[in-house]
Amino acid sequence: MRDAFSKCLVSLAKSDAKVLLLTGDHGYSLFDEFRKECPEQYINAGIAEQNMVGMAAGLARVGYRPFVYGLSAFIPLRVIEQIKIDIAHDKLPVVLIGDGAGFVYSHLGASHQATEDIACCRAIPNLSIFSPADRFELESCMIMSYESKGPVYLRLGKADRGDVHSKNLELKIGNLVPIKTNKSNDISFITTGSLVKSVMNIALENFPNSSVWSSPFIKPFENKQIVDICKRSQVLIVIEEHSIYGGLGSVVSEIISEFSPIRLLRIGVQDRFSQYCGTYDYLLEEHGLDELSLIKKIKQFIESI
Amino acid sequence: MNLHKPTFNVNKLRKTVLEMAYAGSTVHIGCAFSIIELLAVLYRNHLNYPNNDPESKMRDYLVLSKGHGVMAQYACMRELGWLKDNSFTEYFSNGSELKGLSDSLISGLEVTSGTLGHGFSVGVGMSLGAKLAGTNQKTYALVGDGEINEGAIWEGALFASHHELKNFMVIIDENGFQAMGTTKEVLNLNSIKNKFESFGFETITIDGHDEECIDQAINKLWSSSSNMPKAVVAKTIKGKGVSFMENNNEWHYTRLNEHTYNSALAEIEKGEQ
Repeated sequence: MRDAFSKCLVSLAKSDAKVLLLTGDHGYSLFDEFRKECPEQYINAGIAEQNMVGMAAGLARVGYRPFVYGLSAFIPLRVIEQIKIDIAHDKLPVVLIGDGAGFVYSHLGASHQATEDIACCRAIPNLSIFSPADRFELESCMIMSYESKGPVYLRLGKADRGDVHSKNLELKIGNLVPIKTNKSNDISFITTGSLVKSVMNIALENFPNSSVWSSPFIKPFENKQIVDICKRSQVLIVIEEHSIYGGLGSVVSEIISEFSPIRLLRIGVQDRFSQYCGTYDYLLEEHGLDELSLIKKIKQFIESI
Repeated sequence: MNLHKPTFNVNKLRKTVLEMAYAGSTVHIGCAFSIIELLAVLYRNHLNYPNNDPESKMRDYLVLSKGHGVMAQYACMRELGWLKDNSFTEYFSNGSELKGLSDSLISGLEVTSGTLGHGFSVGVGMSLGAKLAGTNQKTYALVGDGEINEGAIWEGALFASHHELKNFMVIIDENGFQAMGTTKEVLNLNSIKNKFESFGFETITIDGHDEECIDQAINKLWSSSSNMPKAVVAKTIKGKGVSFMENNNEWHYTRLNEHTYNSALAEIEKGEQ
């Protein structure tokens, strides 16, 4: 997925000299190819994110297409006000890339983990939020970000969980992508980003009468598809590597409570920081987001209704 | 279309600010009065707006980072014919466009500011864009001395210097006050000139109310052969032009009443004669 990201960025920059990559002294080898191919379009703004995002607004104002890269703990978290006032207020076409979302930096602790980024961005007008699950969704999201007339927050989580799709996609903004469909549809899973693969795995093995939908778009979000899914489902289960407050679970619950109430289980990060460190899989387990914990929670929920 | 050549007469500009502040019953009069001469000289002699078009692609950029002084900029924009008279008489009425802080939805205002330390970085970005495009467009960022408490200013200063943005000029309105007191009492800045110099800016300190002096300083900096960004530290008086407002920080947040409005107006009109 990171390879796809790098290649896509290089290809966009080579085809449009107005594309600039700004990084807050992050990225390491991720940008080796970019620096080699498009050195004039690469700007390391230093460890100075507020200025970097303000500058991106200035560059967009005078006709450039800045892609601003940082860790999602910093972009968007640290610069949320610059995103709001300098960029989103004027619908400037800046792509904000937050890498390492969720628990990717599992050994580094709370400062480098981001499970509140979607919530912080969602209430900012004009700002789209994309959350791709694999290289195919990523590529589409990158191109849609570039083509967007307004700002986009592109959330990149754990990137090495494998593909969930098998071919290039033609995504429609705001729409879910089917991963697993089923006629009886007792349970419908809606998930995003890093956890799509896990949900696909557990659905295939443990919940045959279920459908799985990936949600590469958190905002804008098409309400109707959720209403349609609700009509065909007994229960809805939303799973994400983000706080249960303000993320995809909230998006879906807002829609169903207003338009089509059915039972909903939101699985995500509870209202707390990581207590321990360890591998990424260890951290998922600590937060009850590993496959075994997910299966247990889902079964308990099903039995309780 | 502007039919009358604007003069940017500072008394007239102050009168406009006063009238709109009274009409809108608004605050921040002192913040606007300290930058009247700076803006007058910039608009009169330096800012290039081809065809008097505030959105011309080849314009110079003036970023009012200290958005609290926006009434002074409105007054200049009125002279250029960019704003209608009723925007002033109906200032702050329901549904009106001109806000109490700089807002980029208004043609002629480059940034939305008032939350401090933002416009400077946006200006650095615009200046970088002009440099990358190979144009000779100038960018001016007007910041308050209180505003440079903000860390983002210094991030931007490092960047402008490192990337030798020689067409970027910051003008610091050093009126010595911020919202709750003097800058010395609140968070002492010591020498602003030394700070910007140490960041690599070519820096001049001037009397920010002496129009000739402002003009000369800007010309001198632009004629420099140095590749470094420029800084003008303008020593100013908050509330300049009305004796009871000068260096009286209450006029950061006090509204005019009939009596203070008439007294202030009389002082400015006296200065006009």
